[in-house]
Amino acid sequence: MAAKPSLKNKGRGKGPKGSSSSTSSSSSSKYELVKEWTNWSLKKAKVATQYGFIPLIIIIGMKSDPKPHLFQLLSPV
Amino acid sequence: MADLLPPLGTAQTDGKTKVDEKVDYSNLPCPVPYEELHREAIMSLKADNFEGLRFDFSKGLNQKFSLSHSVMMGPTEVPSQSPDTTIKIPTAHYEFGANYFDPKLMLIGRLMTDGRLNARVKADLTDRLVLKANGQLTNEPHMSHAMFNFDYMGSDYRAQLQLGNSALIGATYIQSVTPRLSLGGEVFWAGVPRKSGIGYAARYDTDKMVATAQVASTGTIAMNYVQKISDKVSLATDFAYNYLSRDVVASVGYDYILRQSRVRGKIDSNGVASALLEERLSMGLNFLLSAELDHKKKDYKFGFGLTVG
Repeated sequence: MAAKPSLKNKGRGKGPKGSSSSTSSSSSSKYELVKEWTNWSLKKAKVATQYGFIPLIIIIGMKSDPKPHLFQLLSPV
Repeated sequence: MADLLPPLGTAQTDGKTKVDEKVDYSNLPCPVPYEELHREAIMSLKADNFEGLRFDFSKGLNQKFSLSHSVMMGPTEVPSQSPDTTIKIPTAHYEFGANYFDPKLMLIGRLMTDGRLNARVKADLTDRLVLKANGQLTNEPHMSHAMFNFDYMGSDYRAQLQLGNSALIGATYIQSVTPRLSLGGEVFWAGVPRKSGIGYAARYDTDKMVATAQVASTGTIAMNYVQKISDKVSLATDFAYNYLSRDVVASVGYDYILRQSRVRGKIDSNGVASALLEERLSMGLNFLLSAELDHKKKDYKFGFGLTVG
């Protein structure tokens, strides 16, 4: 019951505001969206690099000529 | 007697013009990179002294690919509130590393047991453009750093653009002015502590000596001079002054490169004397001894290590 009046208020408050400053709010929200996306992608890139950088070097190294054996990779000698 | 003097004078000037070649200003050599301006001085004066035990084992699988295992045990310093006391916490860690060296691509990765990754990439995008990336990624939030550098090497100049995380942008430029003198400058803008800076550097080198000077708007003025006395011996001296925080440090160091060993040491105006010995016991086996005595703070650090491969 308490939620309903607040929702109505929100709707009324937004109406006139929205029509006059629709472009600025949409551009600012676009900027916010871009920032959020870049933050999300940077976080995922950081996790991917942390887990995948050393395996990437190992894969590239094992494919180079002359191809080393898996045994050479794992043995301590 | 008056007859003798003019012939001697002319003979001397003839000898001198033969020795001084005409400087070809359109064909100057490429200067050293801006961040390596004082590399000879750094080798003597900023040797990596360590404390504790260090063991590095490096195994090559290939000409290009190698793995490395290193163990480090010793106290590590923790920044403390008062500048007089140093807090040391004994730690031990193991680091696994993989390296790939190609003429066009170099990848170096080091992973520690606590999840910290230290990654370096150097890729030749074209003949003259090089991309370098450097990152330290940790599990703790907001403690990771990454930096990307684009280096362009011209015929007698080098330009570099740096992009770092938390909005750091920098650019450096260095140009050969004569075959021995090169001048450069740098500009950077940091987003998080909102500040920007500009700096200038100059380097003069001959076969026997190298002198460099750097001035920056962050307040540092640094000058160093390295004299190469022979193939085996070089001496270096350094003077750094910060005009904003009024810190002055002067140091003198030496670097002896002998057949089986290399000794580097320095003494400081802060009362710090340090030395590093690297001895080649046999093929592929190196023994390291490091000592650093800080008489002002009464902090004495000794380390020993072994490097295999």
